[in-house]
Amino acid sequence: MKLRRSAQWLILIIGVLLVAASCTAPPEGQGPITLVLKHAKILGPVDPIPRLLAQFESEHPGVRVKAEVLPWTSDEQRQFLVINLEGGRPGFDVMMLDCIWVPEFARAGWLLDVTPRLAPDELAAHFPAAVEAGTWDGRTWALPWFMNVGLLYYRTDLLRRYHLDPPATRAEMLEQIRIIRGGERNPKLEGYLWQGKQYEGLVVNVLEGLWAAGTSLLDERDRVFPDPARAEEVLHGLRQLVQTGASPAWVTAADEESTRRPFGNGEAIFLRSWPYAADLFERAGSPVQGKVGLAPLPREDPRRPAPGSTGGAHLAVTRQTRYPAEAFALARFLASAPAQRAMTASGATKPTLMALYHDPELVRLSPSLPHIHDLTLAGRSRPVTPFYVMISTTLQPELSAALVGVKSPARSVADSRRRLDFFLRDVRE
Amino acid sequence: MTDRRWWHGLLLLAPALVTLGALTLYPTVWVVWLSLQRRVPIFDVHRFEGLGNYLFLATDPRFWKAAQVTVVFTVASVLLEAGGGVLAALILRGQRWGSRIALSLLLLAWALPAVVTAKLFEWLYNPAVGLINFALGGVALNWLGDPRLALPGLILADVWRTMPFVTLLCYARLLAIPAEIYEAAQLDGAGAVATLTRITLPLLRRILLIAVLFRTLDAIRSFDLMFVLTGGGPAGTTETLTVYAYRSLFQAVQLGLGSAVGVVVFALVMLTAWGYLRALRSEGIVA
Amino acid sequence: MKPTSPLGRLRDGLVLVAFLLYATPFLWQLLTAFKPEAELMMLPPLLPTRLTWEHFRAVLDQSVMLRALVNSLGVGAITTALALTFGLFGAYGLTRYPIPGKGLLLLFIVAGTAFPQIATVSPLFLLLRALGLRDTWLALILANTSFALPLVIWLLTGFLQEVPAQLEEAAAVDGASRPRAFRWIVLPLLAPGLASAALLTFLFSWNEFLFAYTFTATEASRTVPVALALFPGVFEVPWGDIAAASMLASVPPVILVIVLQRYLVRGLLGGALRE
Repeated sequence: MKLRRSAQWLILIIGVLLVAASCTAPPEGQGPITLVLKHAKILGPVDPIPRLLAQFESEHPGVRVKAEVLPWTSDEQRQFLVINLEGGRPGFDVMMLDCIWVPEFARAGWLLDVTPRLAPDELAAHFPAAVEAGTWDGRTWALPWFMNVGLLYYRTDLLRRYHLDPPATRAEMLEQIRIIRGGERNPKLEGYLWQGKQYEGLVVNVLEGLWAAGTSLLDERDRVFPDPARAEEVLHGLRQLVQTGASPAWVTAADEESTRRPFGNGEAIFLRSWPYAADLFERAGSPVQGKVGLAPLPREDPRRPAPGSTGGAHLAVTRQTRYPAEAFALARFLASAPAQRAMTASGATKPTLMALYHDPELVRLSPSLPHIHDLTLAGRSRPVTPFYVMISTTLQPELSAALVGVKSPARSVADSRRRLDFFLRDVRE
Repeated sequence: MTDRRWWHGLLLLAPALVTLGALTLYPTVWVVWLSLQRRVPIFDVHRFEGLGNYLFLATDPRFWKAAQVTVVFTVASVLLEAGGGVLAALILRGQRWGSRIALSLLLLAWALPAVVTAKLFEWLYNPAVGLINFALGGVALNWLGDPRLALPGLILADVWRTMPFVTLLCYARLLAIPAEIYEAAQLDGAGAVATLTRITLPLLRRILLIAVLFRTLDAIRSFDLMFVLTGGGPAGTTETLTVYAYRSLFQAVQLGLGSAVGVVVFALVMLTAWGYLRALRSEGIVA
Repeated sequence: MKPTSPLGRLRDGLVLVAFLLYATPFLWQLLTAFKPEAELMMLPPLLPTRLTWEHFRAVLDQSVMLRALVNSLGVGAITTALALTFGLFGAYGLTRYPIPGKGLLLLFIVAGTAFPQIATVSPLFLLLRALGLRDTWLALILANTSFALPLVIWLLTGFLQEVPAQLEEAAAVDGASRPRAFRWIVLPLLAPGLASAALLTFLFSWNEFLFAYTFTATEASRTVPVALALFPGVFEVPWGDIAAASMLASVPPVILVIVLQRYLVRGLLGGALRE
């Protein structure tokens, strides 16, 4: 029949195309075990990872490690990991997780339970908050890798000029801003910089405000804003910072770097940020070299501490890995003291092992290390719950709306609760 | 005549039909089914919900805000594109030489992937070193961070990107108008304005309305530009229904709710298309 | 036709300048791609003191972009081939054969061009995941084809209707078989229409973002728009590198559109003027 030939051609063409299209990955080679490590780009002058991996490979003959960089922002990293882990064949063995993802991933069954592989007290040398963040349901799912805590940076030279001590309370800080700006008469000098962009950083800032006000984000039943009135006050207070000019209007779109740079250029008195900035301020050529001090976050009530939020990254092994023993060995190696020391020495991250904060060599490179250690111990971790990310991403637009004045704090709080009630309905155990 | 059995034709059409059936029709039915469920893969939630998602959306301020943003974006964008497009086409028509270069310069904007356009405008809107603030005399407008400026900024980017489409269609139509019509008008003593309003514009009407139809449907479905340029921020002021749906699906991983929003977008697009086509039909533009 | 008076030339020149200004966003990005890093965050001056390739080198060194270009080209080419093949046979079947209900079929197919991608992305995601096609070219090809196919069929039915059926009948009288008549008579006449459909399909596939962003996971299958959207930066946004990457991402579509302008017009008009 006349059609048969055209049909045959058609099928042939389609067949060739489909075969060509399906060939994407080259066939895997036999031979050494290859582990894939996914991590976010480690900042700092030198990337410590390649050397560490080479060392691991030399200590474990027959094992090769391929390091792959995760996408840039935290959101994208998580989306990448979720999509791949959900798909069932992740293609990586060890991954770096933001500490807030660990319970969620553990509950979803994507992580290898490493509790049986740990020696007793193996994790005792790490910050308790870090260990807690890697634990869920009584089991350990991830090893602490590096640590963060929210703290206050201030200009020692400016405070000294006006005979001021680092502010103990929020009211003090605002007063100091008024005094200093009045005296300096520099229109480009901002008061207090913090992260108000619509992302996780905003939730962290709000969280610290809630803790300072004596309330929290979640109660024991994972209900959000258990004290709505207090939460509204906190939001209102943050908005006031912008409206009174204590903070510039652009903090509502600011993240870590867009606040660190102006402070590092001498354009602000106070900055709420993470420890990573301390070394950058002390670099040679920095306009604020030698003029930066660290302090705990200012309190609302002098009797009630205002803990900084802890954060950081953990290392976890995927449950579907083909080489659990080797993968866990890699994670353990990277979380060990020598590796953490190398990473801290290259300037970018702060360790989770408490002893390293008093290591003479590291302190020489970064003199503020002991102070950061104390601040970290006084810090508080974000709620360790599998629902944290869902809660945070649901809250972010609401908090941002309250901050920029698009919604009243009361509406934001009410809408947040309603939305989360709908999402978490019959999901909570 | 040679045999033209209908099932030969069907056989030829079969590959296309199967592909479309599997990849378009089936998912469309499936998304409606998904929208009736509570489905949160991360937490293993998978149960039938009925109209619960839609009931939630009905009183969800974020949904209505997204709907409002979508409407404002669509109407403003399309109006500006249509006006600008016609204007550009008329100008092009009057070119004696260099019209191909001019058209190429215009088409540049249309050819780019939306992501590239987003990056382009993100750089232009930079408060410190963006060209736009510079051109406005050094003001420090925070285009993408100010809730009042973000949507206009987005609309401007979209109009820049899509106006050439309207221009191209109108220009092609203008080229097809025989010169005799204009000569006759000139002989009758018609001025430039009269020629424009009585002859050119009415002749453009049909293609313009069709272009507007396409552009409207495209604007409602628009996703790439706002997702990459602003992510729906600040504070949801540029979050269209598509962005809201996407965030619900892949950030909050609420597949049921996200599918419901997707179904709403689908219904909106289809209703708009149907209503529009009916209006065009009654005007005799479409058969 | 019209005399080229000096005023006319002036007008033409001004218009060209105006259109050049219209392309400013693109040209500014092009300039930024060649601006040295140190001069990027300063404005004024508008123009850099020197031009540099450093951004392009930086972008191409991290092989993600290069791989993304390959992925986009591959996915685009295969999508175009697939959509054109299925679409051509489908359009031919629709126009030349008395398929019952073909008016309705065509209507549904044309309606498929109006489908919002956001509606089908979640079921497609689940489907592709179930088929194990995550992070493959095939996933993108299928997804893109599903949207390109209705457009191609719509266009080609239009173009086919302009090719009189009598030509094939005359050929049949002369003893030519159906496929031969198709190959030697219809196809050459259809060539410009096919070129338009191919151009539009490739453009659509290259620029497609939503599906590519959702269905790809690593650089193994990531296309150019996704690579650009996920461009890594060291805390601070690397505007110069992004500009260079944007230029690389724009080269194929821009060249195609400008060089093949008239096919674009045919294609768009063909779709627009026929309902």
